[in-house]
Amino acid sequence: MSSSRLNLTKTRPYLYLVPSLALLSVFTYFPILYSTYLSFFRQNVFTLEPVFDWFANYAAVFEEPVFKIVVRNTVVYALGTIPITMFLALLMAILLNEQLGWIRDIYRVACFYPTMIPMAAAGMLAVWLFNPGIGLINHYLKMFGVPTIEWLYDMKWALPAIMLTAIWKNFGYFMLIYLAGLQNIPGELYESASIEGCGFWSRLRYITLPLLGPTTVFVVIQGIITSFQVFDLVYVMTQGGPADRTNVFVYYIYQNAFRFWDFGQASALTVMFVIVLLILVFILTRFMERRVHYEV
Amino acid sequence: MKSNTQQTPKFGPLEKAFRFIGVNRIHIHILLILVSGVTLAPYLWALSTSLKYRVNVFTETPQWIPNPVNLGNYKEVFRMAPFGLYLVNTIVVVVGILAIQILTMSTAAYAFSRLRFRGSEGLFFLFIVQMMLPVHATIVPNYLIVNKLGLLDSRLALMVPFWATGYGTFLLRQSFRQVPRDFEDAAMIDGCSGLRFLYSILLPMAKPTLVAFSLISIVTHWNDFFWPLVVTDSPAVRTLTMGLAMFVQQESGADWTLLMAATIFVTAPLMVLFLIYQRKFIESFMSAGIKG
Repeated sequence: MSSSRLNLTKTRPYLYLVPSLALLSVFTYFPILYSTYLSFFRQNVFTLEPVFDWFANYAAVFEEPVFKIVVRNTVVYALGTIPITMFLALLMAILLNEQLGWIRDIYRVACFYPTMIPMAAAGMLAVWLFNPGIGLINHYLKMFGVPTIEWLYDMKWALPAIMLTAIWKNFGYFMLIYLAGLQNIPGELYESASIEGCGFWSRLRYITLPLLGPTTVFVVIQGIITSFQVFDLVYVMTQGGPADRTNVFVYYIYQNAFRFWDFGQASALTVMFVIVLLILVFILTRFMERRVHYEV
Repeated sequence: MKSNTQQTPKFGPLEKAFRFIGVNRIHIHILLILVSGVTLAPYLWALSTSLKYRVNVFTETPQWIPNPVNLGNYKEVFRMAPFGLYLVNTIVVVVGILAIQILTMSTAAYAFSRLRFRGSEGLFFLFIVQMMLPVHATIVPNYLIVNKLGLLDSRLALMVPFWATGYGTFLLRQSFRQVPRDFEDAAMIDGCSGLRFLYSILLPMAKPTLVAFSLISIVTHWNDFFWPLVVTDSPAVRTLTMGLAMFVQQESGADWTLLMAATIFVTAPLMVLFLIYQRKFIESFMSAGIKG
């Protein structure tokens, strides 16, 4: 009797994990392996059966001239949006951390509400605002004497328009993360600093920013993951155009899989996508952890 | 907020510092009002457009307050596409995901936080991995799997891949861990252990975490676009975001009053909830960090 009881207490924990693990296996772990497997097969509209072909899909990816543009777009998008989003988020968080009374709630709502809007809907709002003829943005730019910009129809301006939309949509979320970080900094630190006669910049430099280190690590990683995944905005605003100037990594994967029905190539791209993302996150965590000494 | 209120009566921690560089409260308010105005403008402009007659969309100076107000656009949108059905689908999907998520994550979090077993760390790492992987990384195989299961173009297909959540398990484990051991011992003596202990004591005590996770899950899946785009094909199973995208193609950008009415309708339910419970939402997103 005691042995069966022992058995039950031993297997019980695993039973609790079964539902989650079963689902995760089918929809997360297996797909990752399956992607890798598929990436070694030619499988598109011209092949009846998947054909094993070593690294042919990977080679094909690099032969495609569009791929270079896609990589460039993704990098430009990430390098453009992340620093601006972080700066805005941090600035607003620092200001909103002051005691401003009831009106603070309104500012917070005003900055954060875009998080509640679906990306696809945000894209629609942006398409309307960036309308070259009757859009609000061109209207106000004209008041300052800026000549009409074709925005989403212009090879130069389409990507920046999407980036601006993403910044507007995302900075409020990161602002909240920074606010949470700021509220963990003990007020006594500022008090003793002001007794020591520290000015604004030195307090920012020696108290606020260092103590926000871990938060910043989190924000940067989150920012990279989000910006590498940008898809909805591109789908709604430009469909990757004009002339692939807004075609980004995930959109390119989608195109290959569900527009060209080339699952082999799409899988190869997916594998590359995951590897690049994991390497980036790994390097960043390592690199930044060494510079961040403060635990909050 | 504590005793230091005496030294810094009206202002926060950086008050003196701000003064030092010549910034006072008025400056801060002006900056905040400017930024808030810019962030609010897109939504207000869309709302205003959705309430206009078509002729008033093209005016020399932008007309922020529609005059006269026209509610007909919303009626027209409903006539042109089954947005009511999309709304029902979205609610079914979002609630269906959340309900099962809570079941799977609570038992898993219980095991990881209160029980000791071999390989627990390795298994927990597997849960964490899912947190880091974007949906996009598994799109092709998941499409094929859902196809194999015969679920393509069904509401079930929109839910299944999200039923297990590494992130939810992680959050809940953190909060279960804070329940002292004595509680469990006392409950054991009363004959309350295992699942009963989980559902009658642990879960109620973790309510703030559950609320935070629920809000994040609802927002995430309400707004999801990529997965529904890949696995749905017919209006009968479409969610709001998909319905909007299809409506745009149908309308092909001709009538902005209708497009904005559809956009506002799609965002309205969450926006209203958010405005009513803004503190709860903001608290939740602050405490739970990453999107689920």
